[in-house]
Formats: sequence, structure tokens, C-alpha cells
Amino acid sequence: MTANDPSPSFLARHQFLIYRLFSLAGLVPVGAFLVVHLLTNASVLAGPGTFQSRVDMIHSLGPLLVPIEWAFIFLPMLFHAVVGFVIIANGMPNVGSYAYVGNVRYTLQRATGMIAFVFIIWHITQLHWLGTPFGGGRFDPHHATSSAAITLRPLLVSLLYAVGVLSTVFHFSNGLWTLGITWGIWTSPAAMRRANWISIAIGVLLGGAGLGALGGMRSVDVEQARAIENRMDDVKRMLEGGQSPLDGHQPQSRSPEVRTTKPHTAPVVPTSGPASPTPPGA
Amino acid sequence: MIKAVEAAEHNAGMKSQTVADHDGNGHSAAAARVVRVRVLRQDAPGEESYWERFEIPYVANMNVISILQQVAAQAKSRDGRRVAPVAWDCNCLEEVCGSCTMLINGRTRMACSALVDKLLEESADEIELRPMSKFPVVRDLVVDRGRLFRSLERVKAWVPVDDSYDHGPGPRIAPELQEDAYPLSTCISCGCCLEACPQFTKIEAVRREDESAEDFESRRKSAFDSGFVGAHAISQAMLFNGHPTGKMIADERLEALTAQGGIQMCGNAQNCVAVCPKSIPLTRSIARAGRAATVWAIRKIFDR
Repeated sequence: MTANDPSPSFLARHQFLIYRLFSLAGLVPVGAFLVVHLLTNASVLAGPGTFQSRVDMIHSLGPLLVPIEWAFIFLPMLFHAVVGFVIIANGMPNVGSYAYVGNVRYTLQRATGMIAFVFIIWHITQLHWLGTPFGGGRFDPHHATSSAAITLRPLLVSLLYAVGVLSTVFHFSNGLWTLGITWGIWTSPAAMRRANWISIAIGVLLGGAGLGALGGMRSVDVEQARAIENRMDDVKRMLEGGQSPLDGHQPQSRSPEVRTTKPHTAPVVPTSGPASPTPPGA
Repeated sequence: MIKAVEAAEHNAGMKSQTVADHDGNGHSAAAARVVRVRVLRQDAPGEESYWERFEIPYVANMNVISILQQVAAQAKSRDGRRVAPVAWDCNCLEEVCGSCTMLINGRTRMACSALVDKLLEESADEIELRPMSKFPVVRDLVVDRGRLFRSLERVKAWVPVDDSYDHGPGPRIAPELQEDAYPLSTCISCGCCLEACPQFTKIEAVRREDESAEDFESRRKSAFDSGFVGAHAISQAMLFNGHPTGKMIADERLEALTAQGGIQMCGNAQNCVAVCPKSIPLTRSIARAGRAATVWAIRKIFDR
């Protein structure tokens, strides 16, 4: 008999397409989201009010937020991660024998990918409302800065975040450089070197934004931030209620003092339920 | 010999050892140096490998081939046992045939151009020789590099003018293109790029007892075809896709490069270009193949 090979699997037949989609997903939408996310977070450096208004802008998407998150963030990220693990499993790092810069980067790309995977799962569980059943979900979009600041306050958490953020940023900026080779955007060694400088610059910028956001969250005065957030929240509620904050109805009804007085005892569980993605008042 | 000893004494980094040295006049007991070598041996495919150590007289300007020739001549291990000579592949002895690739002090390179003096600077105690790790061992340092050549078949790394008709002169090739292509044409199929590639992993097909030679060959080929083609084949595909006559089957090569185990398996570690003994711009070829594959995939989707 002539050895009729079993026809290759679906994944084998579409390997090129899958790997190229994997590469693309790393840039768009996952990488693009990373850039927006880190820059949004870094806006806390301009004060809790600025960060809160950025968060409000995102949450103004209302009921669209959940499908957008799944379609453009979670699912592409999951796809990128699954294919990434297949790639890691099929490779055989040999940086011990060939300690070239490119090879070190190859190895780091895989290591930081795995670190980023673990970090992102932890990060989502801890802050995103999806993590609520697991004791997380601590981010409150109505109290963006204070809820994040309280979560990040333990030094160990901040250090792990620094490692996670820097790993993710390295993975993205190094991946940007390899993506350019994969798709054939930069082909000559000289062009690769130039692109490398750009990737490094983007990496340094994003790393700075990430660490800046972390430092900004840590240095925030939680009570002050909470007061600002409550005031902004009241304004939003009134606007949605068809009232102008200038209509004379002062925000005392929300009694911000009550909440600001005990941010430490019940810091992250506002009565309205944690971090609901639904827009305020919906 | 005396010159060698003098030269050796000037080289402080080397380990030397005094042994009785009888020169042609039969009276000298001058200090002569020895070179210690350990070889990872294997008697046959599928058998256990084992280390064997040898000690051979140092001669100035030796290369690894001359070490192995001496090992074969004395056929004696360091502890004095008579052993079978170490088997290895070599042919041209001038880094052109590409057949003597092995792992020398842990790095892939050609035995013919690996000079002992330089190797001793890396590791003064002992030189380590291992067979390539990405190909099945036939015996000792001899490996079966069939997959390397199968990859060249996969990407049709040739100009398709294989008939007896007179096609007239081929198209002229611009000097710029010649200069671009020449470095790629210097590939000697040594396999260094594959050995150093973290994405190119070993595929070893073992013939079953009840299997005919033809069945085994076709099973072996399809096993190879599921794996990464490797940098050498990608670069050859780009060489022939740039050639005015060779590009007549450019699409077939791109089809092969985007099939399973194609260009997408590259992980951009860029070890290939770093270890290539011919300094072939392999990563440039890979990036060009990536671009060609991008364009080709778009064409394939929208032009049909």
C-alpha cells in the first residue's frame, strides 16, 4: 500500500492564516488596547478627576461596553494567548548555547508572554467586574481612582503590577519589531535596526506610562479622590435626571461625607454593587 | 615540532602537559602538548549515546578534521582502550561542501574551519564534539541531513528548465540583481542555520519492521513536510523567485512557503544569520519572504 497520509488537520492546513491572525491580533486590537489602557491609566497623574472623566468616557458606551470588550479585547487576547502557547510549546529555546541579542529577545518574548498571560488573568480577576464571583472585581467605575488606588496599595501588589506591566510592554514593543519582519514591512538589516529603535522608543514610552500610572495610583490621596469622584458622580446623576447641577439641587442628597469618612473600612464595595459595566443610572 | 612547542609556550591561555616526545633523532624528551577531546558517540540510530575521551598530540594550526584524523589513526581512548575510530562526514576541507557541520564546544560550525588554537581559547581543558542535535544520528558525528534537502525540494529551489529543448538564451540579469542574488547563492547546505534555530526541532522517523522502503520513505517525507522548512530553504526560495527564469514558478514556491511548516514558523530569533558560515543575509530573505507571502495571501484571497 502506498502510505496514504491522513489528511492534515484543519489547524495544520490553515497554519499560515492562523499565525498571521495571531500576529495581527497582537497589534490590533490587543496591542492597540494596551496603548489606550496604559495612557488612560497614566492620566491619573493629572489628578483623580482627569482619570475619572476618562473612565466615564469609556463607560459612556453603556450597554455596548460588554460586547465591545469581548469582541475587541477578551476574545482576541484569548486567541493570541492560545496560539502563543502552541508556538511556545513547539519551540526549543537555546539561549544557553547561542547568547545572541536576537535569541535573548526571542526567549524573553516567550517568557514575558507567559508572565503577561498570568498577570492579565490576575489583573482582570482583581479589578474587572468579571472577577466579582472570585472575590475580585474591585474596580468601581464611579470611583475609578480610589478603588484602583486601594487595590494597588499593598507594596507586593504594586511590585507584581510593575513586573506584569513591564513584561506586557516588552512583549508588545518587541512583538511590534518582529511583526514588521513577519509581515515584511522592514526587510533589510538596516531597516530592521531603524525599526528596532522605534520599537524601543515605544516600549520606553509605554513602560513609563505604565509605571507612571502605578506611581500615580499609589501617591493618590484616597479620601480626596473619593470626594472628587462622589462630586462627579452626583453631577452625572443629576444630568441624567434631567437636572442641571446649577438648578439649586445641591449634591447633599448623596451625602458624600458619609462615604468619604470611612473609605478604609468599606473601601471597595459601594452599595450599588461593584464595578457594574452598566452606565450610571441605567 | 619544536616550532609548535615554541608557539604553544607563547600562548598563555592553553593548558599544556608534558609527555615523552621522541623525535626523529630518538633523543629528545622535549615538552610536547596534547589536545584533549571528548566526543559524544553513538553506535547506530536509536542507540544510547555515550562520551568518549581522546588525547592527541598538539600540532600547530590543527583543525577539528585533523583531530578526528588523528583520533582515527590511533583508535585509542584516553584511558588506553582500543576503540572504533570516530565516524564523521567531511569532503572538501575548505568550507564549501557543507558536510562536516557538528557541535564544536556546544556551537554549530564546520569542523574544517574550526581551528584548534581558537577552540582552546574558548575552553582550554578539552574540546567537545557532538553530532548536530536537529538531525537523526547515523553514527558518532555523522547525521542524516535528509530533511535539509527535502526542504529544498518543498520550496522547489531550482530553475525549472529541465528538458532537452533549446529555449534560447534566458533573460538578461541586471547587475544589481546579480549582486543581490550572489550572497544567497553561496549557501553550502551545511545546516548551521537549522541547528541554531529554536523553531527548527528534530524530526526522526524510524523504519518499522514490517514497512517497505517506499512506505518508510513516504512516511519520512510527510513527517518532514509537517515541520519547519528552515532558513536555508526560505532564502533559496527568495533566490529563485528573484531569478528571471526561476520566478516562473514563484507562486508554487510561495504556496510551499505558506503551507504547514512554512515561513510562519519563523520566530525571529535571528540565530540563523548569526551562525551562517557564509554570512548569507538570511533574515533579509525571511523578511522578503514574509512580504511576498503577505502579498501572495492577499492576492490569493481577492484575485480568485
